[in-house]
Amino acid sequence: MSLWFRLAVYVPVLFLVAIVVVGQHHDNARDTLRWTVRRTGRWLVWTAALLACMWGLEILFIGW
Amino acid sequence: MSDRAARNVAVGLGWGTFLAGFVPGLLQYQLGQKQRAVLAFGGCFLLFFVGWLVVRERLFYWALLTPDSPPPGSSPGLIPWQGMARAGVVFTLPELLNFPANALGAILAWDASPEGERLWRMPRDLEHLFGWLTAASGMLAAFWSAAGHWELRRRRDGGATPPVPVADPALCAALSWLVPGLGHCRAGQKDKGALLGFAVVVVFAAGLLFAHGHAVDRANASVWWIGQNLFGGGSLFAALVTAPLRMEGAPPNLDLGVVLCTVAGLMNLVVMVDAFTVAERTAFPLGKPAEVAP
Repeated sequence: MSLWFRLAVYVPVLFLVAIVVVGQHHDNARDTLRWTVRRTGRWLVWTAALLACMWGLEILFIGW
Repeated sequence: MSDRAARNVAVGLGWGTFLAGFVPGLLQYQLGQKQRAVLAFGGCFLLFFVGWLVVRERLFYWALLTPDSPPPGSSPGLIPWQGMARAGVVFTLPELLNFPANALGAILAWDASPEGERLWRMPRDLEHLFGWLTAASGMLAAFWSAAGHWELRRRRDGGATPPVPVADPALCAALSWLVPGLGHCRAGQKDKGALLGFAVVVVFAAGLLFAHGHAVDRANASVWWIGQNLFGGGSLFAALVTAPLRMEGAPPNLDLGVVLCTVAGLMNLVVMVDAFTVAERTAFPLGKPAEVAP
């Protein structure tokens, strides 16, 4: 599975999951969508941080 | 919301009420709603046994723990799995939520012989659809239980004249199980309901497409199916259309499809709970934080 394929699946699904999570805190679709964009961005940053940690552990224990 | 109601929100209704919810109609009976109690028990029982007529022993095969072997890591014979199955205690979800029917169905179908075990493993015609019906009986029992819990809470916290919500919260949750977001529409949040429904349906459809339609199949991935069935409309569609299709070799993205459909089911669990809460808050609005403090 190529990196681009994984990203093309992961990012939209993350956004759709965020809609459901953020929707619990709002009463209408407009507010939900606005805050979903921010939440997805924050989750993507956390995803990048997690990947960096895992990559670092891989290099540390398995090698380059 | 009154101070007493605000305090009670955090208390809950207790273990007795929780356990009573596993017998469809029992909470309604305790509440004095005799007709609703009969309707709940009869409806769940009938739905289960219509499905059971076809699936029978397959319920053991779909269980979280099959009665023929102890779970990984436990000592053989430590827990009498076969004895429990003989007594009707089988961990098939969501049928377990309709406890009396599930227990009776297990007792009637139980056969410890090798021939019996062979029957657990033998696929049968139309098992996808009829397996969905037995599962739907469990979900229906859960919604009746939620309705009983809601009515108990309404009477406990509502004072002399209990408030009436715009829609029954349990009904909103049940509608969202079949069509994600429909419960929100019933409770008055139409645009938000449409958005949440769109999100769930797109993830579920993507899962089916990636797996060439084989992502939702109780016979092949029964544990994943428990999560997928939290989107009842989607699992019904799969039971009718995609699951009966013959699989010619595993599709390259089968795993991805199975996971996406399960994620969609779990997303719909959140949608169902939110639909319940939205309807609930029309009767008991959230107080300010200072009011909720004990």
